[in-house]
Amino acid sequence: MRQKKMKINYEVWSERLTKIYGDGKEKLEAVSKIDLRVAPGIHGFLGPNGAGKTTTYNMLVGAISITEGEAKIRELKAGSVAAKQLIGFLPQDPVFYEDMAGEDYLIYMGQLGGLKAKEAKRKAQEWLNYFDLFNERDREIGKYSGGMKQKIGIAAALIHDPKVLILDEPTANLDPLGRVDVIQKIKELSEKVSVFVSSHILSEIEQMCEDVTMINHGKIVVSDSIKNIKKSFVSNLYILDTDMNEKFLEILKNEDFISKARIEEIDGKIHIIPKDPEKLRKIIPKMLIENKATLLSFHQPELSLQDIFMEIMSKKEDDEK
Amino acid sequence: MKNEQSSPTKEIKPGAKKLNNKFFESLKTWFGKYISIKTFIIIRKTFFDICSLKKIVITIIAMLSLPFIFMLMPTGIDFGLISSHHAATIIGIAILFPVFFWTLGIAYTAIIGTSGSHLIAEEVSSGTMLILVSKPISRIKIFLGKYLAVIFFGMLISFISIFTIGWSGVLIKSGNIDHFISLIPFLTALYLYSVFIVFLFTSITMAFSSIFKKSRTASIVVLILIILSFLAFMIIRTLTGALYGMFQIYHFDLGYHLGNVFVLFIETLNAIPPSAAWQSFFGQMTGVYSLTSTIDPDQGINLGGLEKTNYYLPVFSLLIWILIAALLLFFGIWSLKRREISV
Repeated sequence: MRQKKMKINYEVWSERLTKIYGDGKEKLEAVSKIDLRVAPGIHGFLGPNGAGKTTTYNMLVGAISITEGEAKIRELKAGSVAAKQLIGFLPQDPVFYEDMAGEDYLIYMGQLGGLKAKEAKRKAQEWLNYFDLFNERDREIGKYSGGMKQKIGIAAALIHDPKVLILDEPTANLDPLGRVDVIQKIKELSEKVSVFVSSHILSEIEQMCEDVTMINHGKIVVSDSIKNIKKSFVSNLYILDTDMNEKFLEILKNEDFISKARIEEIDGKIHIIPKDPEKLRKIIPKMLIENKATLLSFHQPELSLQDIFMEIMSKKEDDEK
Repeated sequence: MKNEQSSPTKEIKPGAKKLNNKFFESLKTWFGKYISIKTFIIIRKTFFDICSLKKIVITIIAMLSLPFIFMLMPTGIDFGLISSHHAATIIGIAILFPVFFWTLGIAYTAIIGTSGSHLIAEEVSSGTMLILVSKPISRIKIFLGKYLAVIFFGMLISFISIFTIGWSGVLIKSGNIDHFISLIPFLTALYLYSVFIVFLFTSITMAFSSIFKKSRTASIVVLILIILSFLAFMIIRTLTGALYGMFQIYHFDLGYHLGNVFVLFIETLNAIPPSAAWQSFFGQMTGVYSLTSTIDPDQGINLGGLEKTNYYLPVFSLLIWILIAALLLFFGIWSLKRREISV
């Protein structure tokens, strides 16, 4: 009963969702038993190329079959016509009918989404206007720029008033200006519909999302709000910079309240993960005086999602080894 | 409550109505599963994709080229002296062979094959199908939408071709428009046959389009089938002679079955009377007729026309291939339903 209630609260929900391609020696587990919990709002789906993001999306929209487990869009079985009525989907590198005019394409997509011809036309013009494509409505999509195509793709996903917008790498292959534009539009749209957006560019996700799910090798690595993820990581990393970092590193490594300490190659500073942060903060001034060292900086950094992701990935790989 | 018990008729009527309603409701639900307004949206889009004015013109010219050559051959008959029915028979016989082998044969099936083969395969390989299947429409409707678009396209071009052939046949041969009226049964038979052909070859083409990754592969397979049906088996039949019947090769000879169905429509509509003038050549090409005349066993009179080989009853050929076409249609739907759509 409790589980059912959970499903209702989530826009996208999955339990042990798995996709296996091939069998025997050629068996490939592209997605492995993932439990998705996408709440209303804007939710990021992160992972390197080949992590399983697109496969997951394709299962959610019913393009490919689910090998094991289940997935739901709100309360409805993912892939069913009823569930597809609730979603709007923009695939990675979307392909359009190149010889169709932008407006005609949107009307066609609207009608397939269940709109009547007049309504589809009205909505198509609304979205064309919203995406600044109204003046290009009669042009063939094949003659659109990459950014325009991406916008028409999002408009096509939105035209039948879905409740959840699933966007697979919406900023891929766009120039920096195009990226900023599309991200801005997605942020605006998230006020009206829930958005489940994937990217391997973490800074973009950081700009757009409140919650994220990180995936690697077909498995969920972490799923939480960005705030919580950052909090848990920020609290445990300290960066120390003195005029004798190497000597300090040796001293710190021998202390039992230090979990990990190393000199980062990029900045040459000592990155410390303590077991007891308070003890570290107290002992550093004492150690500086004892060793007659000059303190250049000592602080807790504000980690970017990229840093955290790299940290999690390297930790996972270490664990697997 | 009392009233209802005392009046049995009143009890039965709502029950019957309910039953009727239930029947219509379930029929509506069943029908709605496969055909809806969204199916028509797909039909319209696909139809206009495959049916540009330029394509229609080129197609019709290609389909009419051979019958026109046959029409221009002189018959040596003064059409002013013969009956309208007789004139229609002569015109029909003059164009029967090119219409069967070319207009509604090789050309027609090749056009259907090439028009339909890319509809599923290309959309899947290019990636447009991914967007289509993510929309709230079932794959059955997507398939049927495309399938019906090819059927309608085929029916349109065959109608234009047959009408043009009939009209110009009359104008070229006799110049008497009244003869066109007498030619209508023959043209109707041709059209019914073309509907059968479009149903069969669209099913074949769309089934291949559903299973093959490349549209070119689907096209090639359909073209091979056309060559086998209209040319290869004809050569095999001629070369093997009696062995053809002995080894029952006719079971697999689509050309024979098509000829058999063609003859069924001609006979049923009394379109052209049986005569060796067209049956001997048609028999050699399709294997439907033997080269012996139909003789009344009691009186020894030649009844006109040649004896049929009767490997299959014509109606059986029709039913078998309709069944095969229907199975291929279901197979195509089933393949698309199971197909993994990803780029």
